[in-house]
Amino acid sequence: MTDRLGRIWAIALNTFREAVRIRVLYGILFLVVAANVFAIVLGEMSIHEEARVARDVGLAGISLFGALTAIFLGVVLLYSEVQRRTVHAIVAKPIERWEFVLGKYLGMATTLTVLVGLFAAAMVVLLLYQGVGVSGAVVKAVVLAWGEVMVVAAIALFFSAFSTPFLSGIFSLGLFVIGRITPDIQAALGSKEASAGSKTLLRVVLEIVPDLHLYAVSGRTLDGQHVSVNGDFVSWGYVATAGGYGLLWIGGLLALAIVIFQRRDFA
Amino acid sequence: MTAPPGEAVIDVADLAKTYRTPFTRRRVEALRGVTFQVRRGEIFGFLGPNGAGKTTTIRILMGLISATAGTAKILGNPVPSRQARARLGFLPEQPYFYDYLTVGELLDLAGRLFGLDAATRKRRADELIAKVGLDRARTQALKKFSKGMMQRAGLAQALINDPDLVVFDEPMSGLDPIGRKEVRDLILELRDAGKTVFFSSHILSDVESVSDRVAIVIRGQIQAVGSPRELAGQTLLGVDVTLRLDDPHGAAADEIAARGDRVRRGDRELSLTVAADVDVDELLAFARERGARVVVVAPRHDTLEDLFVKSALASDGGTAAGAAVTEGP
Ligand SMILES: Nc1ncnc2c1ncn2[C@@H]1O[C@H](COP(=O)(O)OP(=O)(O)OP(=O)(O)O)[C@@H](O)[C@H]1O
Ligand SMILES: [Mg+2]
Repeated sequence: MTDRLGRIWAIALNTFREAVRIRVLYGILFLVVAANVFAIVLGEMSIHEEARVARDVGLAGISLFGALTAIFLGVVLLYSEVQRRTVHAIVAKPIERWEFVLGKYLGMATTLTVLVGLFAAAMVVLLLYQGVGVSGAVVKAVVLAWGEVMVVAAIALFFSAFSTPFLSGIFSLGLFVIGRITPDIQAALGSKEASAGSKTLLRVVLEIVPDLHLYAVSGRTLDGQHVSVNGDFVSWGYVATAGGYGLLWIGGLLALAIVIFQRRDFA
Repeated sequence: MTAPPGEAVIDVADLAKTYRTPFTRRRVEALRGVTFQVRRGEIFGFLGPNGAGKTTTIRILMGLISATAGTAKILGNPVPSRQARARLGFLPEQPYFYDYLTVGELLDLAGRLFGLDAATRKRRADELIAKVGLDRARTQALKKFSKGMMQRAGLAQALINDPDLVVFDEPMSGLDPIGRKEVRDLILELRDAGKTVFFSSHILSDVESVSDRVAIVIRGQIQAVGSPRELAGQTLLGVDVTLRLDDPHGAAADEIAARGDRVRRGDRELSLTVAADVDVDELLAFARERGARVVVVAPRHDTLEDLFVKSALASDGGTAAGAAVTEGP
C-alpha cells in the first residue's frame, strides 16, 4: 500500500515539476493579476463600488482562467507522455496503468491548486489594499471555484485518454460552457416553442453534463433567493454538497479514463 | 526469482501482432508466429532488418502493446505482469525522457517507481551516472542532451533496480564507436554479474561479438536461433593469407597474387584469399621462394552476415525490410 502511494506520488510529483516549467502558466498568472489591478482602477471610477468590482473580477478571473488552465494541462500532459514516448520507460516499470493515470491527475490537481491559491492571494492583497477585508463569502466562493477547476481538469484528462489535445480541448471547453448554463437549458425545456426532438436532445445533454453552474453561484438565483458574494451567499453546507458532487464526477471521469488508458497500445 | 541456470527467462510462443490503422483499414502483420526462449544468464541477440518486428516483440514483452495471438512470459509470469517488471530493466528504442529533469532526477523517479528508499536511489544513481559517463552532464536538463547522451541516460535508468533481466531495444544506436564498445562491455559485465541480457539490433557485428545466442527475425518470423557459430556454420570457405614483400607491386607479387583472389596490396604487404581446397603449405613455400615472409594465415568461415543477408533475401525477392501489409478488413 505504501509502495503504491509512493509510485502514485512519484508520478504526481514529476507531473507537477513538469507543469511548473510550462511558461504559459506564468503568462496566465500575469493576466489574472493584471485583471485584478484593472478591477481596482475600474472600482475607483465607480464610487462606493470598489469592493464589489474587485471581488467580482477577482472571482471571475479565478474560475475562468482556472478552468482554462485546467483544460490546457489536462489535454496536454497525458497526451504528450504517449506522443513523446516518455510513457514507454514508465509503464515498463512495476507500476499499474491506473496508478499512472491517478498520479497524472494528482500532479495536475496540485499544480492547479497552487495556481488558484496564487490567483486568490492576488485578489486578497488587492482587497486588503482597498481596505475592505476578506469576507466569509469570498472564501466560500474561492473554494467553490477551486472545486470547479478540479472537475474541469478531470474532464480534460478523460478526453485526452483517447483523443488529441485539439479535440480534447474543444470537447472540454464545450462541456465547461454547457455545464455552466444547464439552468438555462432547463428553462428552454419548459418553453412551449421547442420541438419534441430538440427537447429529447437537451434532456440527454443535461444527463451527461456536470452541473458546473453549482460552482459559480454569485449573481444567480438559488431556490428563489438572490445569491451574491457581495451580499447573501451560500452556506458551508452548500459548499460541502457541491464538493461531494464534484468528487463523484472526478471519480467517475478518472475511472473511465483509466479503463480507456488500460486498453491502449503504446506503439 | 532464482530460477536455475538454463531456465527460460523469456518464453515467447506463437506470438502474433497485427496492427490495424483506423479508417484506412490497412493491416500490418508485424509478427507472424514468433517462438523463442531466452535462457537464464545468457546474452541473447535479437537480430533483424528494419521493420522486421523486433520492437514490436519487445513492446509486447514490456506490456506496452497487447499481442493479437500467442503467449509471452517473463521470469515465469505471463505478460503484462507487475511482478515480472519489478525484476526487469528496459531501454526503449530511441528513448525519450522528461525535458526538464536532470539525469539524476530521472533516475530518482525510476527508483521511486521500483520502491527503492532514498539512500539506495541516491547511491545507485551516482554509480550509474558515472558508469554511463554522464558525470559532466549532471546539471544539464535532459532536453539539452544529444542523442547518444539520451541513450546513456536510458541505459542508466534501466539499471536502477539492479535487474535480473535487461531488455535493450537497439542499445548501440546513436552511439559513437567508443560508446558502442562501452555498451558491448556493459552487456558482457551484466552477464558476468549473473544477469540475463536480451537486446535487439540490426547491426551484425554488434550482435555477433557479444551474443551467446542469436535469433534472426525477418518479416515477423524467426528464421534461425542458435549461437553465432552454429548459425554461421563451420564450413571453411577459404583461407586469408597476408605476406610481407619488399615490392608488393612487382613481378614476384603478381605471380603469388595469381594463385588467389580478393587481392589487396599495401606498402609492404600483399593479402589474398585462396580457395578452401588449395594446398596452403605449398602456396606458402612458393611465396617464400619469391622473398615473401608470412604474416598471417587465417581460415575464412561463413559469417553471420552471410546468413543474415541470405535469409533476408530469401524471404522476399528484394528488400528485406518491412512487414506483410494487406488492404481491407
Ligand atoms: N503503430 C504501428 N502501426 C502500424 N504498423 C506498425 C506500427 N508499429 C510498427 N508497425 C509496423 O510493424 C512492422 C514491424 O515494426 P517494428 O518496429 O517492430 O520493427 P523493428 O524490427 O523494430 O525495426 P527497426 O530495426 O527499424 O527498429 C513494420 O512494418 C512497421 O511498419
Ligand atoms: Mg525497432
